[in-house]
Amino acid sequence: MEAKKVADIATSTGEILLSNGAEAYRVEETIRKICSSYGFNSECISTSTGIYISISDKNGEFVTSVKRINQRRVDLYRVELINSFSRELAENPLSYEEAKKRLNEIYNAPNFSLGVRLLASGLTAFVYTLFFNGSVLDALVSLVISFGIYLLLEYTSKIGSFQLLEYFLSGFIIGAASLGTGMLFPEINKDNVITGAIIVLLPGVALTNGIKDLLYGDYVSGFAKFGEAMLIIVAMGVGIVTALSIFMKWF
Amino acid sequence: MTKAQLVQVVIAFFGSIFPAILFNIDRRKIGWAGLSGALGWFIYIIVFNDTQNAIAASFIGAIAVGCYSEAMARKLKTPAFEFLIPGIFPLVPGFTAYTSLRYLVENNISLAFSKGILALAVGGSIGFGIMLSTAIFKFITKVRKERLKYRKS
Repeated sequence: MEAKKVADIATSTGEILLSNGAEAYRVEETIRKICSSYGFNSECISTSTGIYISISDKNGEFVTSVKRINQRRVDLYRVELINSFSRELAENPLSYEEAKKRLNEIYNAPNFSLGVRLLASGLTAFVYTLFFNGSVLDALVSLVISFGIYLLLEYTSKIGSFQLLEYFLSGFIIGAASLGTGMLFPEINKDNVITGAIIVLLPGVALTNGIKDLLYGDYVSGFAKFGEAMLIIVAMGVGIVTALSIFMKWF
Repeated sequence: MTKAQLVQVVIAFFGSIFPAILFNIDRRKIGWAGLSGALGWFIYIIVFNDTQNAIAASFIGAIAVGCYSEAMARKLKTPAFEFLIPGIFPLVPGFTAYTSLRYLVENNISLAFSKGILALAVGGSIGFGIMLSTAIFKFITKVRKERLKYRKS
């Protein structure tokens, strides 16, 4: 197969991996494996905002491909599918059309329905409020707040806005709502409610993946992910504290 | 281990499953992902009860999660990544980081600093724990392959 077509397949694969939360070394190794399945040498650099691939042709010519990634989330299923895809390619190199078709299928792989995800988000908040020694009542409030925030984020991400602004707003709403219910029902401890509600949003996974990247020596990707995680935490924290300070002053 | 702590381990089990759903995990792997988190937290509590040191406890807990994930990866033919992420979810110091920020805004700089360093240290020890377990398994697999080659020749 031509180098250009291999580059295309490798780039699409890398794009799916990176935008679904894979670590830098995973993206780079997978791309390298795919290129070598088709008999090409390649070099790949993966940062948290894009991938750079360069494949060397039989004639010594280089084919380069660059792909910018704009949004990242964590999707374990797609990462797994790409993993099996690349293993399959190593044993049995697919034709270009088939490979593209498979990649398309992976890109459109099923997600859990909105209802299930909403429930999972609420239950995560519920469970973690209990985990941090909150009462069942606190946990229930957390659950409801988490529902609201998740729905809100679903709709605003379709409109598209600054990621940090979304986190600030979520923090603000969580802070305000927790304070509000805490004042209406004195049995509720607003701190426990806040704790549970923010767990879903906190980028704990991104933080740890960033540190993992750093430990593997991918400093660009590592520091970028780490910095992003820090900024998200700051944005949320500022949102919550702003809500608390404003509303506490008024009442 | 007290009863309350055991209950926490059970909660950790569910606390790993629900985020795993949010991360779109394959349905058949949900239970294993939950076990990953429960195991990690279980080891964390054991070490913490002994040492009262969150950093050491997170480190050993992360190693446990890492080894479990690698073992499950080989058994279920999925990348270890898939069990690592839900597994470390209860261990990850997101809350400590938030608390540190809250202290910062309340102008309690020294507490903010100490919580912040703790969060970073715990995050780093989790990362190291995972990396160590991955390295150990890679080493074991390599040694096994070498032995097989040696026996065949």
